[in-house]
Amino acid sequence: MNARSTSRQARTHRSGPAPPSLRSNLLVLAALLVLLALSAGSALIPMGAFNEVANLGIAAMKALLVLVFFMRLKTDSPLLRLVAATGFAWLALLVALSLADLLSRQMLLPPW
Amino acid sequence: MNASASHLREQFDDPVQQREASTLGMWAFLTTEILFFGVLFAGYAFCRVMFPEAFAEASRHTDMLLGTLETAVLLTSSCAAALAVREVQLGGRRVATWLLLATAALGIAFLVMHGFEYVAEYHEGLIPGIRYTRHGPHAASMQLFFCLYYFITGFHGLHVSIGVGLLLAMAWRTHRGAFDQDYHTPLELTALYWHLVDIVWIFVYPLIYLIGRAP
Repeated sequence: MNARSTSRQARTHRSGPAPPSLRSNLLVLAALLVLLALSAGSALIPMGAFNEVANLGIAAMKALLVLVFFMRLKTDSPLLRLVAATGFAWLALLVALSLADLLSRQMLLPPW
Repeated sequence: MNASASHLREQFDDPVQQREASTLGMWAFLTTEILFFGVLFAGYAFCRVMFPEAFAEASRHTDMLLGTLETAVLLTSSCAAALAVREVQLGGRRVATWLLLATAALGIAFLVMHGFEYVAEYHEGLIPGIRYTRHGPHAASMQLFFCLYYFITGFHGLHVSIGVGLLLAMAWRTHRGAFDQDYHTPLELTALYWHLVDIVWIFVYPLIYLIGRAP
């Protein structure tokens, strides 16, 4: 056995991310529920295109709270943040390129 | 011998490396889940740009009150799952078991509420191919909305059911003392899965229930 592995033998889960405080978890839940109320409320106010901005913006904020605090991306390994970001980046590409196709091309009539 | 040493597989140097490998693997799986639901959301975006009025009209047929309640239930269950992991990290086995059972119960409550929605939609005749009784200029394109709605919420419900099963198994193992401060990876990974299912619903909620609500 090399020196590296013997020196690491004492490491356990305790050296992973420390448990969050009860207060922070409950505050995140409160924030999520407030955002939910805002989302439902804003949907009933006529704002035109900004209804959609509010809908998706609030959803993104809620998702970020869950990712950062409940899923512990804030305190866990940076590699996990990278993997999580990659997943959403591919999704953004998928949606953006599909819509770019739809919005930027003319329907062509068949030539017969 | 503590729980952590007995769970160390031979390919890993130490429990920390094993945990890092497990969480990384779980996150890789979760990104495939993001893309799995992502395809449905991309299809939704495509169809909605094509038929904005039909989507707004169809969305008004969904039950906004139940949808909002379901969202609140899932958000609360996510917090309970996070607290369960925290309890185990602090050595509180009994409280963690109850928190996991509460999480599973909230998941079941979500499924029951969604079941009521499906029944109401059946009676209203909103299910394309099974019972669809809409008429009017948008009736045909509204079917696209409802197809996406049933695929997205159906697959999401399937994920919630799997999650409830996993949470119950984790509650049992926590109760039996399988996890302690040094070893709780399965519990952590189950919580990660549950949070992702929650995130999917966070986006389903405004896209399905909230469009076309303003007068």
